Amino acid sequence: MISWDHFNWFAGVTLGCWTVSFVNILLNKKILWAQVFTAIGFISYGLFIALLWINLERPPMRTMGETRLWYSFFLVLVGYITYAKWQYKWMLSYSLFVAMIFVIVNILKPEIHSKNLMPALQSIWFVPHVTAYILSYAILGAATIVGLKQLYQYDENDKLIDFTDNLVYIGFGLLMLGMLMGAVWAKAAWGHYWSWDPKETWAFVTAAAYLFYIHIRWNNHYRKTALWMLVIAFICLMITWKGVNYLPSAKNSVHVYGQQ
Amino acid sequence: MTNKQIKKPIWQKPWHFTETILIVVGIYLVGMVLQLSVGTFKFSNLAWPLNIIIGGSGIVLILLLSLRKQSSFFQWLSGVPFSVTLIAALIIQTIIMGITPQLAGALTHKPTVFDTLGFTRMTSSWPFILIYFFTILALTAAILNRLRIPKWRDYAFYLNHIGLLIFLFASGFGASDMKRYVMYVEENAEMPEWRVYSENKDVLELPIAISLKDFIMEEYAPKLTIIGRESGKSIPEKDPAYFQLADKKTDIEIEGWTIKVDSFIMDAVRNSDKSYREIHMPGSCPAALVTVQEKATGKKISGWVCCGNYAQLYMPLMISDKYSLVMTRPEAKRFASDIEVVAASGEKVSTTLEVNKPLKMGNWTIYQYGYDNDAGKASNYSSFELVYDPWLNAVYFGIILCALGSLCLFWIGNKKRKERNND
Ligand code: HEM
Repeated sequence: MISWDHFNWFAGVTLGCWTVSFVNILLNKKILWAQVFTAIGFISYGLFIALLWINLERPPMRTMGETRLWYSFFLVLVGYITYAKWQYKWMLSYSLFVAMIFVIVNILKPEIHSKNLMPALQSIWFVPHVTAYILSYAILGAATIVGLKQLYQYDENDKLIDFTDNLVYIGFGLLMLGMLMGAVWAKAAWGHYWSWDPKETWAFVTAAAYLFYIHIRWNNHYRKTALWMLVIAFICLMITWKGVNYLPSAKNSVHVYGQQ
Repeated sequence: MTNKQIKKPIWQKPWHFTETILIVVGIYLVGMVLQLSVGTFKFSNLAWPLNIIIGGSGIVLILLLSLRKQSSFFQWLSGVPFSVTLIAALIIQTIIMGITPQLAGALTHKPTVFDTLGFTRMTSSWPFILIYFFTILALTAAILNRLRIPKWRDYAFYLNHIGLLIFLFASGFGASDMKRYVMYVEENAEMPEWRVYSENKDVLELPIAISLKDFIMEEYAPKLTIIGRESGKSIPEKDPAYFQLADKKTDIEIEGWTIKVDSFIMDAVRNSDKSYREIHMPGSCPAALVTVQEKATGKKISGWVCCGNYAQLYMPLMISDKYSLVMTRPEAKRFASDIEVVAASGEKVSTTLEVNKPLKMGNWTIYQYGYDNDAGKASNYSSFELVYDPWLNAVYFGIILCALGSLCLFWIGNKKRKERNND
């Protein structure tokens, strides 16, 4: 019977394969082998989840460790689909990298709950919510860099704008997913899906700013306005993530966790 | 045709950004006039069925407009300039809201300019409500516009926009029908409780009664820390060190002291001689026997520390004339209530309620809310939040559509746009 005791075997195969693909993507133009190894690692990991599910007689989604399993699983899946569609190698290597971090966390700390998590934070939404946001922040950060480059060397015919659009679409999709999962979670924990807490307000501002970008770019218009908005949106994003704690409006925020 | 449009006189159709911005500023000003004359918008005034009448007729109006062929007004209403300008208006208002502290209850001070303008209650201010309303109208128009020639390849557009429309409608207009109360229930009371407190602390009676069979609480093991005896602050002051007690015994180091935990009891009661023994009973409290050694001098001190609770004394260990070793109060790991709920309809449910695991009964949802913080584990009551929200299922439906739409954003990208440009 498969249990957590066997995790290291499956995870070891997965980590080995994904490391090979990761290095392969970084070094080579053609990445056929990377795809093969991504698939083998993925199957090994999926197999463990399936067998664990059968053994537990419930979906393994209850504890932190279990949700981390799914995170790595889906991340690589999404990364691969995005690669297959757009040929973005960075997306595949990036998701492999983050997925591996979560596999390693599960090897080092497979425990049920991380210690001293206040009850409101103990939820199956915790991991997917946070990671969707972190991933989207990273992608939108990349979009900002590409956007700044275009503003600096402005050229009406620059092809980079297509790349920027795609980055924003993907990053915004993840941002929305993170926000929606946060809403569902907040409902279960506090009884409100959206309470306009300062952190939530700034998350709204951020999402709306990217929404502005997406809509003003519709049909390939307003390149320059959109690029400026990208910069503003990223400033809003940083305020949401780090800056809220310093604002006068955040004195009573429930999302500013005390230090201890 | 990016920025090189032929100049046309203002207000001549088709309207573009200049006209649109003027119109949205106009909407905002109308809202401001209402705000200054009528005062803050009251959601309760929009309670069922008024919300569905107003919201519904707005949408029907747009539907009728969309049936007219080649209405340039409808083209504008459903177009990008209007939606982008509305989104910009929302951004500006929410930025103001994100900077200004928001008020929850009634105004207790003399109104400031910000209060009068509605900035301190942004989501109930007239300009915000009007912009929200027009966003719903624009969204409806955009959806209907696409639906004239439905295409499968527009699936992502439909999921995102219909999902968002349902969500915005149900969460905004639905807010008027939402009710939220807190109920305090004593353990093993003779009668089930049905009295609740509203947000204004009025006492009301509900068609739902709850009895509490058991309040369950688990705590994390407490932490050890060294505090300055005068300041009461943990050291090092810049980055206080806390050590989580656990079953495993390890040596800890804090700023020139080594601490050895000789024994640790989660449920301890004090003996007459200042030592502790393990007893599981209400009022027991974590305690630890520790030996502290000052590294510089080699001096050793040992003794019991206890964090104290309502029944037992707090016990620090003096380790020098400047510092003491103390134990922090344990933090809650999980709290839950074994309850029985009886609805007026006669429906009965027994369950264990805990944070993140609410109970849904019809349009009511019951949440674990709090307990007697001073008594902690020994709390003899538990409090629940009861939320009535008939729009909740619609909200979730909207969320699910939006989530599917967001997933689609991973691959639709700008491919469509290029196709369109070739049209
Ligand atoms: C979660 C929020 C939203 C997302 C993810 C979203 C996404 C999109 C996307 C991806 C497109 C391009 C469609 C395509 O590829 O053909 C689009 C178009 C459009 N959206 Fe949105 N949108 C959102 C909210 C809104 C809102 C709030 C409005 C109106 C106030 C709006 C109005 C429009 C309009 C008018 C178009 C142009 C479509 C057309 O003319 O047919 N959207 N949106």
